[in-house]
Amino acid sequence: MTLADARARCPDLATAPHDPVADSRELDRLAGAMIAFTPLVALDPTDGLVLDVTGCAHLLGGEDELVSRVLAAAGYTASSALAAHAAAARALARHGGGGRGEDVRTLPVAALELDERALSGLRRAGLKTLGDLAARPMAGLAARFGEAAVMRLRAIMGEASSPITPLRLVEPIRLETRFPEPLARTDDALDVIEDLLTRAARIMEERQLGGRRFLVVLHRSDNVRPRLAVETGQPVRDPAAVMRLLRERIDTLSDPLDPGYGFDAITLAVQGAEHLPSRQIGLESGKEDAEDSIAALVDTLGVRLGEERVSRLVPCDRHLPEKAQGLVPATQARPGPWPAGGDTPPRPLLLLDPPQPVDVIAGVPDSPPQRFRWKGRLHDVRLAEGPERIGAEWWRKRGGHTPGNAGDTRDYYRIEDGEGRRYWIFRSGLFGETPGPRWYLHGLFP
Amino acid sequence: MFQNRAPSRADPPPEAPPKPLWLAKAQLHEVHAAAGDWASAMAFCLAAIEADARRPILLLRVRKDRRAQVRMNPCGEGWAPLGLDPARLLIVDARDDAGLLRAGLDAARQSGPAAVILETWGNLREYDLVASRRLILAAEQSRIPIVVLRGDVPPRASAAHTRWTVSSAPSTPLETRAPGPPALLVELQRRRGGPAGMQWRLEWNEDNACFREEPIVPASIGPASAGPGADEAAPLSGAVVSLAAVRAGEPLRRTA
Repeated sequence: MTLADARARCPDLATAPHDPVADSRELDRLAGAMIAFTPLVALDPTDGLVLDVTGCAHLLGGEDELVSRVLAAAGYTASSALAAHAAAARALARHGGGGRGEDVRTLPVAALELDERALSGLRRAGLKTLGDLAARPMAGLAARFGEAAVMRLRAIMGEASSPITPLRLVEPIRLETRFPEPLARTDDALDVIEDLLTRAARIMEERQLGGRRFLVVLHRSDNVRPRLAVETGQPVRDPAAVMRLLRERIDTLSDPLDPGYGFDAITLAVQGAEHLPSRQIGLESGKEDAEDSIAALVDTLGVRLGEERVSRLVPCDRHLPEKAQGLVPATQARPGPWPAGGDTPPRPLLLLDPPQPVDVIAGVPDSPPQRFRWKGRLHDVRLAEGPERIGAEWWRKRGGHTPGNAGDTRDYYRIEDGEGRRYWIFRSGLFGETPGPRWYLHGLFP
Repeated sequence: MFQNRAPSRADPPPEAPPKPLWLAKAQLHEVHAAAGDWASAMAFCLAAIEADARRPILLLRVRKDRRAQVRMNPCGEGWAPLGLDPARLLIVDARDDAGLLRAGLDAARQSGPAAVILETWGNLREYDLVASRRLILAAEQSRIPIVVLRGDVPPRASAAHTRWTVSSAPSTPLETRAPGPPALLVELQRRRGGPAGMQWRLEWNEDNACFREEPIVPASIGPASAGPGADEAAPLSGAVVSLAAVRAGEPLRRTA
């Protein structure tokens, strides 16, 4: 069915573009959630999961209860089937009628998932179900439809094994130290944390991992659990670097780390581990050192000031000058190339945020300003260049395509005043389009 | 980044001012400018800085600084024509002046950045001889240049190696009565262990993608065209304890 067809039948249809990456990510998430029911979960791309529930059903009160719980946990409209082996269950779930205890022999031949020519050939021969097919000798089937058809049929009938490849759980990195006596000094606690970090670094080194988020929980005797969490821009496992961030975090706490009656235990969890290969120490590793020191600096300042206070400029695909760029936290932004300016008129070095309203004397309808007043001071315009007309982003506005709703068109001028200062000034709206257009100062040129 | 141009006068002055080192590595520099000349001061810093052309430049400022008249953001598209990649820019917004100087000190200790620029407005009480000396020690350790941009404030004693005053200069008009390429008026107010008081007019040369410098001989220009606060020099730093920042003399011209 085409989209136009579907829309004609259901005018309120909500549509979304197909995003295979997000789909597979969601399937991974679902597979992770299924770990609650069985340790053996396999993916059946692009939209299926195979759960080996051997020996698990009685824990949840029977197979029916298990299936209903799994469907509730999935949260989607899903079809399910139980069978003695994976291939049969898969065929029943995808091509069956949905009833319990359905026989695979009653499934249509489409369950073999052959191409359309082979399927129509089977139907023309009067073979409608898998049962019809299974009663025939396999040799003829293989000669006509290929080995794959026979393999699938045998797997569904249970004559050949259909192994699954379960996802393997990664053991989380979580370390704990318990003390025989409560630890009463903060410095001692920090020493223990450093020790935990060293152990964690050894584990991560073996697995070639680096942590993006480190969480330290200090268990106090009176059951208060202060938590210290630090995040890094790049995966790290160097205990000294994490320790520096933790000290920075302790400094920014509103109330200092109070041992009270002492700490009973300290736990460290490494969350969000990412691949970090061991690095060979080069003889001339000056560049790497520089990159490391920048990343460390970004992390330190991010912990102290807040992540969004350390930012990079990134280009945005927008039309208006103030929206054509954005400040993105440096831990998230990847330094990417900026589009080459090309043939656009020059842009200022600094943008005023927000644009400053100014009183302007200018010729009507579209002459550059002759004189303007900004913050009580009069500036005579000596030289001017323009206008550069920048239209409003009508396609982003609801109803913006109808006349009069698009928003104000801007006419930008590059001007120089009598003192030699160069400004970027614009008139918001055209004469005739907007009553009494206002002027704004938007940038400074060197 | 700069190229010399002989003064286009009939008889060159007998002793031309020596070419300075601009904003050299491992040193602390102060650049004074008024709010209206802020883009010029920024362009001067970025062009004159002696830095690696690939490593990031750190710009530290105080978020929502009340003393700045307007909030200004760098415009990435405006950087490229000056030969700078905006992706190199790393912006840090500190909470207050003390936080700004502390972050600046932390940044100055790293050898990763190409340069560290601190954007400051107003009196900045925390920036004294001790604070500037700390920045110098950090810069000498990490071998990167550090620039303190000072907006709307008269010069004050500090340990900085050089002190500059930057303002916009009238550009050379194009044929269509349009503003020409960027032009700046730069004055070296003070330099440790070297002559000071020279002035230059810098004009952007699009063919070579660099600023061209043209020395201005102080005698040839009238007192009216001298830069703001030109004949006002702050005392040299040294063993003498600096006095309070109340200065007799003409304050820096304000734009408001």
